Amino acid sequence: MRKMLFLAIVALAAPAASQGFPFGLGPGQRQASAPPPVVQQPIEVLRADFGAQAGGTTIYFVSGSSGLGAQARTILAGQAAWLRRHPEIAVRVEGHGDPGDTRDHALAVGARRAEQARDYLVLLGVPMAQVSAMTWGKERPGAPRAVTTIVR
Amino acid sequence: MILVAAGASLGGTAHAQAQAPGTPAATVIAIPPMTSPDKGARGNEMLAMAWQATQLIETDLRQTAELMPLPPNQKDYYSYPEVTAPTFSKWREKGAKALITGFVQSRSDGRMTVGCYVYDVDKGRELGRIGFVVAPSDWRRAAHKCSGLAYQSITGAPGMFDTRISYVAESGSGDTRVKRVAVMDSDGFNHSYVTAGETTVLTPRLSPRGKNLAFVSYVGGVPQIQVLDLQSKQQRPLVAGNPVSFAPRYSHDGSKIAFSMMLGPNSDIYIVDADGGLPRRLTTSPGIDTDPSFSPDGAKILFESDRSGSQQLYVMNADGSGERRLSFGTGAYAAPEWSPDGKRIAFTRRGPDGRRIGVIDADGGNEQLLTTGPTDEGPSWAASSRELVFQRAEANGQSGIFRLTLDGSAPRKMSIPQAGSDPDWSGAID
Repeated sequence: MRKMLFLAIVALAAPAASQGFPFGLGPGQRQASAPPPVVQQPIEVLRADFGAQAGGTTIYFVSGSSGLGAQARTILAGQAAWLRRHPEIAVRVEGHGDPGDTRDHALAVGARRAEQARDYLVLLGVPMAQVSAMTWGKERPGAPRAVTTIVR
Repeated sequence: MILVAAGASLGGTAHAQAQAPGTPAATVIAIPPMTSPDKGARGNEMLAMAWQATQLIETDLRQTAELMPLPPNQKDYYSYPEVTAPTFSKWREKGAKALITGFVQSRSDGRMTVGCYVYDVDKGRELGRIGFVVAPSDWRRAAHKCSGLAYQSITGAPGMFDTRISYVAESGSGDTRVKRVAVMDSDGFNHSYVTAGETTVLTPRLSPRGKNLAFVSYVGGVPQIQVLDLQSKQQRPLVAGNPVSFAPRYSHDGSKIAFSMMLGPNSDIYIVDADGGLPRRLTTSPGIDTDPSFSPDGAKILFESDRSGSQQLYVMNADGSGERRLSFGTGAYAAPEWSPDGKRIAFTRRGPDGRRIGVIDADGGNEQLLTTGPTDEGPSWAASSRELVFQRAEANGQSGIFRLTLDGSAPRKMSIPQAGSDPDWSGAID
């Protein structure tokens, strides 16, 4: 119950804080206590900032597993903190299966990894609507992983 | 002109291929050049067509483990009446056990009539006949039908010559790889692309008669099954909404599609009418259940599940009841497909030696690994139930499509324009 309430407050507070306008142009921006304006950043800049501040965009998994290790949790916590500060930004978690797996099982494992990461972000207070999940199966070469990507 | 080109290909290639020890010798079949009742210039045209058809039949039959064609020889030309009254003694002397005769006849509407006859040479008895009217551009299909008649008359199994293979054509590599659904005749001819490559596609599955195609597309951002009518090009998502769905397979009568869908982190098997409607959930285990495949009568569904820890093969009734585990070997057993004759199951086994293709009997016994791996995957049966098509990543990392007969001979790589994956073999096309 307490967690739910907390989430609601974060969700409500977020849009108000983010509706930034250049100085003096926006309505209701005259109070001295107004938050600093957020200038629309190019997505590349946001992505770089997200990666740097969160401590990484990619978490890795043990082959065949979708369990989150300690390092993965640390990175996801960093991602969650950044996402709570940027509630106007939506991210997609892209899960990958194991390269040696068969096509369809890899799709399911990738989806499960993305869901695990997404669930953990939500557990840490990121609104559900801010995070989507998808799977690449074994379509993109590389280690078993889930990558959090800013989509807007 | 055609005859010259044809003559060059007759150079007696190794038709005396060694049989694997213990397998019965292949049946020697004579294929003298087909004839025509037509006269004059038209007659010559039809004879040229008949010669092309004769050679294609030889090529078809040479690819089988069960039949060994004698190379067609133009000296063995026969007259139209001899189509139904062949000189059996002549073929007995040449060692043939079976004989194909046939004719091509022009029609006033521009099409042509093709007739084929298959005989038991020893008994001097007709085994079967087939005839149809086709456009000249469809001569390959006509010849494939004759090959199918010969194969079925002699082996008892349906021929797989007039069938289609769909697969994913690949170009580029890594994150910029382009994947397109392609469809071709099972001998590689009549190749065409079905999707444009703007979005990643996976696992095309032809409906049994090759008219519709179910495949997975990322067009909506997540992998989802689309169903495409190959004639009208009409496409629709199989399931409404945005859940991840994949691994579609048609029932053998084409009326149902079984597939995987994920609502949350779990993949379960669902079934839906091929022309739409609400999907029904069949499995509920917390493991990943995927790659469903119908039994030929549609009463059972085979699938893989990792509920026990590693992927294993399971079978259940088509309403989801009566689940039973089929495979108990070491390693993981995945991507099963039920043979069209219902007797066997092909699968991909993942083990310490990589991914290999194997078969087991439908009751789970008599396991055999057919390929050496280590990067083989996704077997799909020919209509004959005696041959498979699968994908193999080669040393350069490119994936190719291979055909494999069950007699123990080495897989043969199919000639396709690019790299390819996820092959699927249709049933016989009417």
